[in-house]
Amino acid sequence: MRSYTSRRAGRTFNPPKLNITSMMDMFTIILIFLLFSFSSKPELAGLEKNMELPQSTAKTDYQESIKLILSRSTLKMGDRILARIDHDSIVGLDPKNLKSSDLYRELSTRAKTQAEMESEQTESLSILLLCDRRLPFKTINHITKTAALAGFPNFQLAVLKR
Amino acid sequence: MDVDMVPIMNMFLVLVPFLLMSASFLHIKAINTSVPVLGSTANKPAVNLNIKATVVLELKKATIDLSLNAEALEPEVLAGWSRVFPKNGDDPFPFQVLAEHLEQIKNAYPASDTLIIVPNGDVLYDTIIQTMDVARYRETDTKLFPNVVISGKIG
Repeated sequence: MRSYTSRRAGRTFNPPKLNITSMMDMFTIILIFLLFSFSSKPELAGLEKNMELPQSTAKTDYQESIKLILSRSTLKMGDRILARIDHDSIVGLDPKNLKSSDLYRELSTRAKTQAEMESEQTESLSILLLCDRRLPFKTINHITKTAALAGFPNFQLAVLKR
Repeated sequence: MDVDMVPIMNMFLVLVPFLLMSASFLHIKAINTSVPVLGSTANKPAVNLNIKATVVLELKKATIDLSLNAEALEPEVLAGWSRVFPKNGDDPFPFQVLAEHLEQIKNAYPASDTLIIVPNGDVLYDTIIQTMDVARYRETDTKLFPNVVISGKIG
């Protein structure tokens, strides 16, 4: 017993060597994958969790412009809620008097500001419309009509790449 | 001699969470479209000798009605291109047949590039996007009618 303890006490402690080669391989793969999916655009900002965008074969990238988000429950401009959606109809938007809505007021103010900034190049103005795929056209139609009245006849319909 | 991997590992450990936060797994793309507006140039005569026809697709709950408009063509010729594409029960619309017909129109009048979609109020947004996909490009990336206008039904 004495001889065993003296033998152990005489040894210097060598810490076990960790083989990190396989871990490095894994990290390299993860890093490359994440670098490819890196995006500088905050694409999902303002999107609701239960919102479903339609899928499409479109390849055009969207431009940074006025963002209208139409889900099954709200209409938002950026992060600001403009109206509630109740049974596929927009609360506070009268189809016979579209100019009385908050959306029209907000968009016409933006149109005036942008027209002054871009020295009357109003043709280039467009709206990025993020719309839930389960909504009927009648709901979307009121939004597009109001936007066109306010000076935004061109739209970019946001879709998910198929 | 062993290379000291610990600093590289530390760097990776910092980079991975940062890239995870800024990674985007949903790729959002856009389809350019417009709505009809009143303009002063609407009644100008066509100067181009090539016939430019405009395809009108009326999306209904059970059918897609196709018609063709062109000032330079006779009404009988235009009527010959009209088609109705009915839905087959619960199946989606026959988009493949529609695409083939649109390709025939494009081959007959290559200068045409505009298509107007007139959906009924109860047509889902997803159906409109699918119709746009079929109408804008063929599978081989050949352009059919890249200028798509969405119009509400008048009257």
